[in-house]
Amino acid sequence: MTRAVNRLRTKLSVDEVPAPRAAEDPDAVTQPPAEPPIVVVGPPMSPADDLTPEAPRPRRRSAGTLAMSVFRQYSLPILLVVSVLIYSLWGGDVSSTFNTSANWQNIAASQAVSGVLTLGILLTLVSGNFDLSIGNICGLSSVMTAAAYSHWHFPLVVGILFGIVLGGAVGGMNGFLSTTLRVDPFIITLGTASIILGFIDWYTHGQAIINGIPGSLVTFGRTNFLGIPEIAWVLAVVALLIYYVLEHTPYGRALHAIGSNRAAAKLVGIRVERTITSAFALTGAFAGVAGVLLLAHTGSGNPTIGPTFTLAALASAFLGAVSFKVGRLNVAGTLVAVFFLGVNIQGLTFAGVQNWITEVFTGMTLILAVALAAVLSKERKAKRPTAAPTSSAEQTRNPA
Amino acid sequence: MPSVLAEPRTALTMRGLSKTYNGNLALNSLFLQIRPGEIHALLGGNGSGKSTAIKILAGVVPADPGGELTVGDTVAGVSEWTPAKAHAAGLRFVHQQPAVFPELSIAENLAIGAGFPRGIAGRIDWPALHARTKDLLRKYQIAADPKTPLGLLRAADRSRVAIMRALQDRDDADSGVLILDEPTAALPDAEVAHLLDALRGYAAAGQTILYVSHRLDEVLSVADRVTVLRDGVKVDTVETKGLTEAALIELIVGRPLDRVFPASTVEVTDDAALVVRGLAGGPLRGVDLTLRRGEVLGIAGLLGSGRSELLRMLFGAYPRDAGTLVLDGAPYKPGNPDAAMKAGVAYVPEDRQADALLPGQSVRHNLSAGQSRDYYRGLRFHHRVERADSQRSISDFLIRVFNDEQPIETLSGGNQQKVVIARWLRRRPKVLLLDEPTQGVDVGARSEIYQLIRKATEAGTSVILVASEPEELAHSSDRVAVLRGGRITTIVSAPIDAHRLTELMNSSEGTP
Repeated sequence: MTRAVNRLRTKLSVDEVPAPRAAEDPDAVTQPPAEPPIVVVGPPMSPADDLTPEAPRPRRRSAGTLAMSVFRQYSLPILLVVSVLIYSLWGGDVSSTFNTSANWQNIAASQAVSGVLTLGILLTLVSGNFDLSIGNICGLSSVMTAAAYSHWHFPLVVGILFGIVLGGAVGGMNGFLSTTLRVDPFIITLGTASIILGFIDWYTHGQAIINGIPGSLVTFGRTNFLGIPEIAWVLAVVALLIYYVLEHTPYGRALHAIGSNRAAAKLVGIRVERTITSAFALTGAFAGVAGVLLLAHTGSGNPTIGPTFTLAALASAFLGAVSFKVGRLNVAGTLVAVFFLGVNIQGLTFAGVQNWITEVFTGMTLILAVALAAVLSKERKAKRPTAAPTSSAEQTRNPA
Repeated sequence: MPSVLAEPRTALTMRGLSKTYNGNLALNSLFLQIRPGEIHALLGGNGSGKSTAIKILAGVVPADPGGELTVGDTVAGVSEWTPAKAHAAGLRFVHQQPAVFPELSIAENLAIGAGFPRGIAGRIDWPALHARTKDLLRKYQIAADPKTPLGLLRAADRSRVAIMRALQDRDDADSGVLILDEPTAALPDAEVAHLLDALRGYAAAGQTILYVSHRLDEVLSVADRVTVLRDGVKVDTVETKGLTEAALIELIVGRPLDRVFPASTVEVTDDAALVVRGLAGGPLRGVDLTLRRGEVLGIAGLLGSGRSELLRMLFGAYPRDAGTLVLDGAPYKPGNPDAAMKAGVAYVPEDRQADALLPGQSVRHNLSAGQSRDYYRGLRFHHRVERADSQRSISDFLIRVFNDEQPIETLSGGNQQKVVIARWLRRRPKVLLLDEPTQGVDVGARSEIYQLIRKATEAGTSVILVASEPEELAHSSDRVAVLRGGRITTIVSAPIDAHRLTELMNSSEGTP
């Protein structure tokens, strides 16, 4: 009797999570402030309905409700455009700084890091699992890539691969531990995050690796191709890749199935443990890529900046689920959400709001996004036109 | 208060209850009278209007204007009916999945909604609460201590506590109506009888009960009268005395029973599709079975007999300790469901919600779950082929949907189950393992599901069927193997008698 009730849960856990910081202005980052506890709610799982729902009646959709649903589907892009318009029309220095190609390139470049991170965590989130260590993995990759080149004198390519593989290994360990020990990955990755934090502190003594960062990498992180920062092109490639994996491969289908109902996924032949472990590994590897991009963009292996990305990534992923495929995590929505956060934080900074706005804005976005995603996914189910009104009893009554 | 009035003739009267959803009449001018102290069953398929009627009664769904409700001395038009009014009039509801808290004690479960007795400074007066709970437990004849966590009680007793909680503020059983919505749907078989006994006791003490259920045998054994709804219209109210299950099915479906379970038309050949020898593990202690090609082999066994584990072992989803399996003449050693599927075995689990459906996913994705690899060729996912397949499955398997992109949970139980069965049958499996394929499915859809299974056997699929209703087994199997004590004790060939099956399942007859 309790099983159905348990499955209805929208996995609600409370934990202290490091608040994210401005991604676009890494030089301003000093040390994390005392973070307020923040409620993180699970991915918008669709709970099973009661055991035998009455066949709902079809709804006639008027032009009004159709327009409403279209509006809802595109509310986030609309909000993004509105935000841009606000800062453009703010007047004075705000508009003149905001409306420059340099600013746009800065936003694109800085969001490339959190964008890759967010797209990477989609894989784990879709499978119904949490990874709270991605920001730390990103930081680890950035520091260790820098170390591999400047301390251990490996070639740059080896250093980059080291960063990415290290991220994948840590992620894979997260997945392996949570599936074999059957412990909620929420806990495992929280632990991992702390371990990485300590490890980086031990290795760097809290000092950023500034000297000996390869010039070619820094150049890559700071130049444009066709007017768009080169690292933003990496984001575009990653977005296409994740979209392809999630929507157009059996692997993506398996992740969706596991996120929907793990037991059922197992009974349709999906190797659940293996798939989840690989999803964590991939998320970790993408966090590794983000770390390399971070190193390229900032030009230093910074030991403190990584963890600040975790919450922003979660906020963007859930905010993304509010648009396009409403109630579902999706790539297009995620990208819009990443830039929505980036534009607003940048705009508010230009408008003279202090740095703390970054944390507050991200935190509020996360809470709002998750609440909205939950409401919308519920509505989506309730409002969908549905089964023919005739009961099967009626249909079979008429002899064939 | 009008207690001086004469005792009402009926405990509950619904008059002219109608409900229209978007132009569809879900309930058409229902007239229903329930006598004081009787157990009155409300029956009907999915979409027959019985849930609508219950929801109107509870005040959670507003009825179309014009109807009238009489509960004891309270008379009210439907437009003024609210949950508070229903409660005040003495209606008490216990739903399919009662909101009980297994980790909390019985006493806490009782008090959590009704309020805790308070002592000095607002602290909870535990002795008073435990004393009150003890009295109630005695009154409802539940042998348990108030401090016991509810989860430790047997399933039927948990339901009885839910009923007790609903009735705790009603001292006189003579007025008011207890409405039970599918109280046994979530109960294992062995527990059902225990709960039904309790219900009979409450009725004997004067409690009026309105009982909604899918399970006809229960209704016949516990109810005094039964009202059957079909497509929102009352078909009839009849006394259950002398009523047979066949007659009741005819009332619900509107056609005779022999058309509900199609007879076998397949020439069952003697060559074996699956041979099981000495299969052991979990509750099984050496099962020997031979599944012939094209037959439906029923497995009769009580709950806990290992019938579900047997199917899971054959599907590679439960560890096997010993035994050999031969599938189509070749050794078969499934290490996981994936391997079993590749060998051509399919499995429909018992618990549809927990183990089969992918909620939030479309009907199409639910249909192709586990075979998406087939659509992936040359790094491309062939969505168009998948869509065509899902359209074909929807028409082949009589799945009633608006379109195949609607989420699975918007379908009725019967249609959900057809999706699950279609998911497997479209792969044309050699062996199909069915665990309670018609649980929570109305009689009409049940008939369709059995027709689909028959059709599959005609196409060469062999079926192992686990069902807890002996009637169902007897009607839909070619042979039935009786599973007792971890072994197959008897194999019954046609003609199969349901009563004989029940005896065999329970007695030690034939045990080696």
